[in-house]
Amino acid sequence: MTFETFQFILASGLILGGLYALMAIGLSVVWTTLDVFNFAHGAFVALGAYIAWQVAQYGEGLWGFVFAAGVSVGLMFVLGFILHFCLIKPFEKRPNIVLLAVITTLAASVVIESLIQLVWGPREKQISPAVSGRIEVFGTGFVANDVVALAVALAALAALALFLRRTGTGRAMRAAAQNREAAEAMGFNVTVLYATALGIAAAAAALAGVFIGSLRFINPSFGADPLMKSLIVVIFGGVAKFTSPIYAAFILGVVEAFSIYFLGLYWSPAVLFGLMVVVLLVKPEGLFGHRRKTL
Amino acid sequence: MLQVTGLSGGYPPVSVFRDVDLTVGEDEAVGLFGPNGHGKSTLLSTVAGLLDPWRGEIRFDGRRLNAPGDMPARLSRHVNYDLFRPRRMRARHAVRAGLIYVMQGNRLFPEMTVDEVLGIAPKAAMGRAGVGEMYDLAHDLFPVLRRRRRSKIRYLSGGERQMVSIAVALLAVPRLLILDEPTLGLAPRLRLELAEAVGRIREAGTPLVLVDQNIEFLTGLVDRLHLFVNGTIAAEIDRTERPSHESIMTLMFGGAAR
Amino acid sequence: MKYAPPFHHSSALLPVLAAGAVLTVLPLIFTDAYIRHICILAFIYAILASSWDLSLGYGGIFNFAHMAFFAIGLYAYGIGAKIVGLNPWLTVLLAPVAAIAFAALLAVPVLRLEGVYVILVTIAASQLLLKLIVSQSEVTGGTSGMVLLPRLTIGDYRLTDDGRIGYYYAALAMLGLSTLFLYKLERSPLGRAIKALRDNKYYAIARGVSEGRTRLYTLCASALLPGLAGAFYGSYVRVASIEVFGLAFLTLVLSILLVGGVSTIWGPILAAFLIAVFSEVLADFGSWRDIAVALAIVGVILLYPGGLFAGLQELRDFLDSRKTAATAAWGRRFQAGARAALMGAPGRSIATGHGEVALFDTGEEKPALLLIHGNSSCKEAFHRQVAAFRDRYRIVAFDLPGHGVSRNGNPRTDYSLDAYARIAAEIVGILELDRPAVFGWSLGGYVALEYAAGGHPLGTLAICGTSPLSLYPDDMPAGYIASPHMELASKRFFSWREKRDYAEATLATRAPGSGLARRAVWRTDGRAREQLFSRMKTVDWQRQVAFLRRGTAPFAMINGSEDPFIDHAYCAAFEYGAIWRGAPQSIDGAGHAPFLAAPETFNRLLGEFLEECASGWHAEKSGPAVPRFARTPEFRTTEE
Repeated sequence: MTFETFQFILASGLILGGLYALMAIGLSVVWTTLDVFNFAHGAFVALGAYIAWQVAQYGEGLWGFVFAAGVSVGLMFVLGFILHFCLIKPFEKRPNIVLLAVITTLAASVVIESLIQLVWGPREKQISPAVSGRIEVFGTGFVANDVVALAVALAALAALALFLRRTGTGRAMRAAAQNREAAEAMGFNVTVLYATALGIAAAAAALAGVFIGSLRFINPSFGADPLMKSLIVVIFGGVAKFTSPIYAAFILGVVEAFSIYFLGLYWSPAVLFGLMVVVLLVKPEGLFGHRRKTL
Repeated sequence: MLQVTGLSGGYPPVSVFRDVDLTVGEDEAVGLFGPNGHGKSTLLSTVAGLLDPWRGEIRFDGRRLNAPGDMPARLSRHVNYDLFRPRRMRARHAVRAGLIYVMQGNRLFPEMTVDEVLGIAPKAAMGRAGVGEMYDLAHDLFPVLRRRRRSKIRYLSGGERQMVSIAVALLAVPRLLILDEPTLGLAPRLRLELAEAVGRIREAGTPLVLVDQNIEFLTGLVDRLHLFVNGTIAAEIDRTERPSHESIMTLMFGGAAR
Repeated sequence: MKYAPPFHHSSALLPVLAAGAVLTVLPLIFTDAYIRHICILAFIYAILASSWDLSLGYGGIFNFAHMAFFAIGLYAYGIGAKIVGLNPWLTVLLAPVAAIAFAALLAVPVLRLEGVYVILVTIAASQLLLKLIVSQSEVTGGTSGMVLLPRLTIGDYRLTDDGRIGYYYAALAMLGLSTLFLYKLERSPLGRAIKALRDNKYYAIARGVSEGRTRLYTLCASALLPGLAGAFYGSYVRVASIEVFGLAFLTLVLSILLVGGVSTIWGPILAAFLIAVFSEVLADFGSWRDIAVALAIVGVILLYPGGLFAGLQELRDFLDSRKTAATAAWGRRFQAGARAALMGAPGRSIATGHGEVALFDTGEEKPALLLIHGNSSCKEAFHRQVAAFRDRYRIVAFDLPGHGVSRNGNPRTDYSLDAYARIAAEIVGILELDRPAVFGWSLGGYVALEYAAGGHPLGTLAICGTSPLSLYPDDMPAGYIASPHMELASKRFFSWREKRDYAEATLATRAPGSGLARRAVWRTDGRAREQLFSRMKTVDWQRQVAFLRRGTAPFAMINGSEDPFIDHAYCAAFEYGAIWRGAPQSIDGAGHAPFLAAPETFNRLLGEFLEECASGWHAEKSGPAVPRFARTPEFRTTEE
């Protein structure tokens, strides 16, 4: 294996990792703040992609793509924000909220998927990429769209990290995630903060969906695959902190890229799952996790 | 300042306290004293808006904080009333008015640093002036805050965490401060230190509601002292005369019966 | 001690028999194979959902590998019956073993995890299994699945013949057996350990429940039935495909479980039929059907998170309170004569702050004696005392709300010791009784104590079948002998048998004239029992204890020596300020109701007590009250 091939595999692994991180971050933000597992996450990814596809029909090229992505992310944020009040908030005082939220989010994903089916039909679609052609980085040529995807994913993750660590609202959100009652006693509107968390998760899912939609074909039920992928990432990294799935996503992306190269497409899922089994047996709370959750 | 009349509440369907009347005047410190598990903390959480009051009235500065009327009864045991019945009182309204509550044994936010926590605390002041002075006061009272500014809350000791809790409350520029057992589970030395701090907050002119199990601690700090037993205020204790063990026992278990 | 009557004594017997009969006859009425097909699917869903309840509901383990257990059963059947060529029946019986083995394997990581991590791990495990099945396409057929699996046959008769009637009854039998299994398991020591771990893990562990073993058993037991159902399903649809791993199937079964009601065995079974039928009715609407079903499920969960079974119980509750109210109305209307004959005078009705109550009052200018009856009884229990004392005393007795011929009260306000004591005080006020002697029996004893401790006018106080408590519920085990019948005291619904048992335990049912009191158990509003006990914690017990210890009023305790409930040693050791004859009095051979079982002895004792009080026994004996405390509450004063 030449150094160039190595570089190429590493880079495509990182791109994959970026997408995985974007998908998984939403799951982990919702879990760390709301204490529930969002089964509608895959449907969020799909819906985000379809909205972007629809908007992209009205404009071509880079700006069309940017506009489409922006509209999709914005709309999905609003949808996530609203869905909090329908799916999760009504149960916040109930002891079995985890179970109730599982069924409401599952039902939401069924509804979203069926609506996509009704509105856009079952035919496969693709969003035209933001940029076409190839660019050269460190002497290796890449599909430009991939590089953009990675860059945007990294930028989005960094922005989210900055938001949570540095801004007042972000800190308040972390506070509300760590101790709801104390945050309430400090005068924060915890409900709105929680809804924002679901909005952010939906927006991140939409962004991931937009890029997936520009890399390959989408159909109404394609969200199931990202959901499972994010799940693996989250198991791998643990959900204790919102950063842990990010590291895990990049590790998994790189491992997947290498195993595709060396073992082929057929076996690479098996490698991933094998890795996951090892993690589960050795450190069931995830590589970077500890058993307590925090945002 | 604070007028609580005929307040009843609890965790539906279990009623915890009934018909509590409590007033705190301008520049006054009121103590609540009573055995464990009789509903003091539930009462204060309700006054602070964390729990919905069932009946009665909470007025702060003459303004009513809880929704008028009684909490409607829950006829069905299983219908999710949270879905369509709004809260009857919200903590953030109490906070906005300046009614600041320091919870008993507050865990705060384990994964945030002291600085981060103190950074978001002034939001509760809702634009009231005086955050700066309070910031100085807090750091003056608890020098440890500056020493441990970069530590995560979960690495702090119980006493330090209690100090952060009080500092957070101070940064909200309280017009009335409710302290729920600030010395619970602390070593005697720390207890003294906290007692002194509470005394200085009192001197700074902040009205207080103070709860403790330790009657010595209370009598030194408050103007009036109430005995809270079995979910209601049973009697007012004369502060000037230190009550003996026997007389407290009689108050609690004998005298309460008419 | 937990009260768990055998199934055929519980009130679930009739509905289950009826449902069983209906389901047995159903395929004979509807010969259409399609309707039977829906029923068979509903049976399988019911087995799946109710067995999932074991781990998800009772165990509180977020096990999302349940569909994987089902899939293992399905594929095990496919492989065993088609590829290996085993007998289909044998394969159906062997398939669960594979599912259990997988569950045991899964338990390894699950035992170390909690909460949402269990969701992640179990989903991951099922995905892993899916990948495995897809990758072994030579055996499993990969993504296209296995088809034409062997059918179940009996001799040459195929169960699909005659409109699938064979499969219908096989599935019904399986549902019956699975329900029996779950029912028995839930009530077994293992079932209690499972629930204990869910409700209070550390306490359960501290009491010797092994967490690891119990969780392992929970998962394995929870895998048994889906394994079986999966194999059966395989033999029925004759296809094994990876669709069973999909979110759609998971959503269906999980919604059956939640709409039916978590931690109830019957709820998911009911919901399986409802949802199967609902989704079949809408079968022609394509995507709209999925949306409608999903929205309906969300709607139910949002509005009524308890689910169908809780709804049925609430309905039953409503009907039961109507029934008891009607019984009371009937008693007021038609039994007045019988009551008057027994008590020697007619009763009347009186309005109080807690509703209208039935009152008996001999109404002459004599010293008053107020009688308060016990839980699920009525004032007529005291007819022997009325007969014996009415020449010397003015006898006043009333039916508590929800009891006897009083009206049913408002469960939120009228069914508590506090309310009962206030009613007694109101009656004393309305009748202008001057410092009455109060006698309370059992629950009525607490009402009497509460009345006395509340500072209401009181001459003398006597109680029977009541242990004074200083803390509730901490003192209950000391003051009472644990028995299954104690559990009945707070139970809302009584089956017919429980009513009889309760009457026999509390009353001297063979005593002449006890018929009315016995029937009062039938009439009592179940909510009165339930609410009273759920409010016991808010009673000011310290005040009652303080009253007893002060000893300012003459006090007597007259119990039956054979009382099945109260602990005589506890009652004797309690520190009374002043108790008549220095100790609780005991009537040999009498049970919980000595005034009915041995009325002569009881009346003699009570009469002596009242007379000695009148002649000043108490004034001589009782010294100044010194409060003493057997139990110092957690309480600190510093002596620095």
